[in-house]
Amino acid sequence: MIDWLAGVGRVSRVTFEHAGGLGLLSWQIIQATVRLKVSMRAILNQMYIMGIQSLPIVLVTGSLAGIVTSQQGGYQMTSAMPSYILGSLVVETVVLEMGPVLTAIVLVGRIGARITAELGTMVVSEQIDAFKSLGRDPVAILAAPRVIAGILVLPLLVGIADMVGILAGVGAAYLDVGLSVESFFYGARLFWHNWDLLYSLTKALVFGMAIPLISVHMGLKTKGGAEGVGITTTQAVMFMTLTILILDALFPPLMLN
Amino acid sequence: MIEYKNIHKAFDLPVLSGVSMRVESGEMFALFGPSGTGKSVLLKTTIGLVIPDKGDVEVDGLSGYRDGAKAMQAIREKIGYVFQNAALFDSLNVLDNVCMGIPEDELVRLPRAEAASRAWEALELVNLEPREILSKIPSELSGGMKKRVGIARAIIGRPEVLLWDEPTTGLDPINTAAVERLIRRLSKDLEVTSLLVTHDVEGGLLMCDRVALLDGGSLRFCGSPTDFRASPDPVVQAFVDREAAEAALDIGVLI
Repeated sequence: MIDWLAGVGRVSRVTFEHAGGLGLLSWQIIQATVRLKVSMRAILNQMYIMGIQSLPIVLVTGSLAGIVTSQQGGYQMTSAMPSYILGSLVVETVVLEMGPVLTAIVLVGRIGARITAELGTMVVSEQIDAFKSLGRDPVAILAAPRVIAGILVLPLLVGIADMVGILAGVGAAYLDVGLSVESFFYGARLFWHNWDLLYSLTKALVFGMAIPLISVHMGLKTKGGAEGVGITTTQAVMFMTLTILILDALFPPLMLN
Repeated sequence: MIEYKNIHKAFDLPVLSGVSMRVESGEMFALFGPSGTGKSVLLKTTIGLVIPDKGDVEVDGLSGYRDGAKAMQAIREKIGYVFQNAALFDSLNVLDNVCMGIPEDELVRLPRAEAASRAWEALELVNLEPREILSKIPSELSGGMKKRVGIARAIIGRPEVLLWDEPTTGLDPINTAAVERLIRRLSKDLEVTSLLVTHDVEGGLLMCDRVALLDGGSLRFCGSPTDFRASPDPVVQAFVDREAAEAALDIGVLI
C-alpha cells in the first residue's frame, strides 16, 4: 500500500514538474516573441526543416490514410447503403481524424525526436551554458523559432495531407468498388460542413504547438551524457505521442458538439 | 574583484559547503582540487550557470542573485568563460562562433565586416591562422584548435574577467604548454582578472599570483604558490609531490 502511494506520489510530482516546466517555457517563448528577440531567419530555417523536408513522408502517410479508409469503407458497405456514402466516410475520416493525427504522429518521430536529441546534445556538451555565459537567451534562440515554426507549418502540412488523402481515397474507391468521382464527391458534399476543415486545422495548430514545445522542454531537461540524450529522446517521443492522442480525444467534446 | 560568500551547493549530495574566497582585480588565481570536488561548480556560480543553494557571488560589487536578472546580464557581459570542452556551437562556423562572444546589443549594431575583423584579431591572439579556419565548423577542428577558438570567443567581447574551466585538460604536453603560455600572455596583454580551475598544478603554480585548494566541498588552502609548496598539510603536499600523493593515498587522506 505504501509502495503504491509512493508510486502515485512520484508520478504526480513528475507530472506537475513537467506541467510547470512547460508553462514556464511557454511564458518565456511568449516574452521572447513579444520583445522581438526571435530571429525571422531562424523561424524560416525551422519552417524549412519541419515543412519542406517533412513533405514527402506527409504525402505518403496522407495518401495511405485515404487509400486504407476507402478500401475498408468499401469492404464494409452493404447493398442496403448507397455507395456514394463512401465519399462522405473517406472525406470525414481523413479530414477530422486521419489527416491531423497521422501527420502529427509522423512529425513526433521526424521532428520531435530530432529537436530533443539536438537540444539534449547541446545541454550535455555545455553549448546551452555557453549561450547563457555569452549573455544570450537559449529560449529566444533555440526554443521560440521551433515552436513558432511548428504552429505555422503543421496546419499547412495537415491541409496538404487532407487533400492528398481525399484524392487517394477517390482513386481507391474507383478501383476498389467502382465508385465514380462524381458519386464520391456527391456523397462527400452531403455530409460536409465547413466547420470540419476548421476543426482539422485547429487540431493541427494545437499539435503543431505541442510537439516542438514538449520536445524542446525535454531536450533542455537532459542530464548525463550520450545515454541521457537517448533516454530523454525516448521519453519525449512517448510523452508527445501520448499528448497527441489525449488532445485528440479532447477535441470532439470541445468542438464537435 | 570576484567575491564568493559562503557558497553552498548540493545536487544529490553536498558539493560545496560554505566556500568563501576573493579574487582581486588583475590577479591570476588558480583553483586546484580532486576531481568531483566542485571546482567547476564554483566557477559556474559566478555567472549563474549553477545557482547556489545558499550564499552569494559578487563581481565588482554586483550580485546576479541579489540584484536580479539585469545585474546577472551585466556580470556575464564583463566575464569571458572558457569551457572545459570548448562548447563551440556545432551548427556555426568558426567565424560565427567567435562573433557570438561579442555582446548581443553591440553585435546587432556592428557592421558584418567589422565583426569579422574582430574575430580575425581574436583568432590571431590565440595563435590560430584565421584564413584557414574561419569557415570551418567545429567538427573539422582538432581538440587544441577547438580550445583556442573557445578562448577567442571568450576574449572577443573584451572581458574584464576570464574564467578558465580546465583549459588544458585532454591536451598533449606541447598544446598544454602553448595554452598555458597563451593564458599568461592574454592575462597580461588584456589586463584581465583570471580565475583558473585546473588539474595542472605545476602550471597553475608557475602562472598564478595566488592559488587555492578545494577539498571535500570547502577551501583547504588559499595563498601564494610559495606558501602552497611549503605547506605541511598532507593534502596540499599530495598536489605538489607525486610521492606525497602516494603516501596520502596509503594513509587514506585522499580518496
